[in-house]
Amino acid sequence: MEEFFASLYEWFGPNPFYSKDMAELMRGWDITCTGYIGTPWYVIIGWSMVAITIASYVLQYHIIDSSKFNKKHHWWIVAAIVVLFNFLNAFLIMNNTIQAGDYCTQDNIGISDCIGLGLSNAIWSFILFILLTSFKYPRNLGINCSHTTFWKP
Amino acid sequence: MARLYIFAIGGTGSRVLKSLTMLLASGVKPNSDKNFEIVPIIIDPHKSNEDLKRTERLLGNYQTISNDAGLDSGFFSTKITTLDRLTTSQNRLSGSFTFNLQEVGGRKFSEYIGFSQLDEPNKALADILFSGKSINKRHEEVNLLDVEMDIGFVGNPNIGSIVLNQVKDSQEFKDFASNFNEDDRVFIISSIFGGTGAAGFPTILKNIRDAMNNRNIDGKGFLQDAKIGAVTVLPYFNIEKDSDSPIQKSDFIAKTKAALYYYKDNVTGNNSINSLYYIADNYSGKPYKNDPGDNGQKNDAHFVEMASALAIIDFLETPDSDLETSEGKALKPIYKEFGIRKDSADIKFSDLEDYTERKIAMRLSQLALFRKYLTEHLSNAIEKEAWSNDSPEINKKFIDDTFYRTNLSEFLSSFADWLKEMADNKRGFSPFNLDSSIEALIEGRTVKSGWFSSKVDFPSMDNKLSKQGKGKTYSSASQKLIKLFYDTTEEILTSKFGLKN
Repeated sequence: MEEFFASLYEWFGPNPFYSKDMAELMRGWDITCTGYIGTPWYVIIGWSMVAITIASYVLQYHIIDSSKFNKKHHWWIVAAIVVLFNFLNAFLIMNNTIQAGDYCTQDNIGISDCIGLGLSNAIWSFILFILLTSFKYPRNLGINCSHTTFWKP
Repeated sequence: MARLYIFAIGGTGSRVLKSLTMLLASGVKPNSDKNFEIVPIIIDPHKSNEDLKRTERLLGNYQTISNDAGLDSGFFSTKITTLDRLTTSQNRLSGSFTFNLQEVGGRKFSEYIGFSQLDEPNKALADILFSGKSINKRHEEVNLLDVEMDIGFVGNPNIGSIVLNQVKDSQEFKDFASNFNEDDRVFIISSIFGGTGAAGFPTILKNIRDAMNNRNIDGKGFLQDAKIGAVTVLPYFNIEKDSDSPIQKSDFIAKTKAALYYYKDNVTGNNSINSLYYIADNYSGKPYKNDPGDNGQKNDAHFVEMASALAIIDFLETPDSDLETSEGKALKPIYKEFGIRKDSADIKFSDLEDYTERKIAMRLSQLALFRKYLTEHLSNAIEKEAWSNDSPEINKKFIDDTFYRTNLSEFLSSFADWLKEMADNKRGFSPFNLDSSIEALIEGRTVKSGWFSSKVDFPSMDNKLSKQGKGKTYSSASQKLIKLFYDTTEEILTSKFGLKN
């Protein structure tokens, strides 16, 4: 899964949002700068992004599932929350790691890299939320939000 | 399907028929294994009568809604049809619910009976039989023989009985006779204290029972022993005093007595009726405008008319074994009256006897809630709520179509008018607060609430509608609208208001 998430966050090659050193850290480049034996951040942040996004979808479409919360502007509110949560999740995890010095000190990693990663995570969560809600299934399994997408009703 | 032919005679006939239409629209049905198709036949010479016109329009809308929504949708689930739909003959009539009384419009009664051609002895006899005064369309006093009959018989059953006797030779009566089957029934609605109804009831009854002797009609075999019920409405409203009018409240009782005396020999006394319902109200309430007919005669709906309509439901619940007839005579004639639990000037559901309350409270409340939702909230929900977007879609195009925009909207508007008129009348019937919140809709009923119980408002109705419609299939958007709301309102009123079916 690591390569899968890595290719997503690195946008399939040229990484527009953060440095190569940050990418190495995300792949698990360890604190002693000897190999990819450190924490696999791509997998952790990737799965947490998937979990947060799916949980938000389930909350709106299947738990709240209310006629008071099924319009497109409600979709956009939930999408904004998903984006914000995922941005903060990625940013805070990596920023705390860097602030604690838990990375190979030969690498040049700063707060801008954390913001870039947060942006990447936020964008992918947004895309995932769109994919989850734009097709008939699984949203059709709910009741009141079974027609709720980013463009209607 | 067996048929119930309803002869609605005069202004009261139209108004009772209107009440019946409202009850049937709300889903009130007889507790019977048999389903009946209703064939209303309105008999009223007064074509400009507003009550007649309103009832005709209502029946037309009912018919269209029922045809579009089907007969298994809850609301509008009793078939109502016009007499002409039953026949394939070349003499097919226009699709009207109204009996076409020939040669009445614009004619004086003396012209109708050919008074000028009578010899002197017969002229003298006619003068005696039809002595007295009445008024014409211009409110001028005229001799009874000079009454112009297109405003009705102005409280003169002696004229009515002559004119209405033409029914037996009409195309309508021929169609009725040729389509009448053994399982079918007849019901006659009339008032006893006016002109048209008091004359029409025994005349129609006699013509049906004597159909065997009528050489002009075919297929009359079942008519002689037909199961016939009738409601005869005794005085139930007050009218303004107007010394110029031929209609006086003080005459009501005298006319009623005279008619009952006649019925004693010719209706009840000879067992020609199987089931006769008497209804009256001596409550002296808000007087109606004294209108002999020249101003269109538009009276507010009254509780007694709805109770009279319930007589028809009761008649349909009566088993065949209690309506047996032999050689035109009822073997076990039934006579019934109607009563309420509490003599209230403003009747609520709880003032009705248990049977009546069970029969109408749930269904009328359902239709009232349906109307409330459509008029106050549908525009907010259309194309937004899941129930509206689920297939078949109830979208803006649907509400712009004739079914919704004309037939259903007009019917529900008439339903609201009917409820308001009954509420404003005295004695009143006001079980609903139509302009309040949903939770306060039914007088004397509070919504069951608790920690885990949501309140009843439009969003919660949307929730329930979407839940109710989930996974169901509907043949058309019209059927979906009617059926979905019937099921959902029933669920809400049962679970939240504690109404029982």
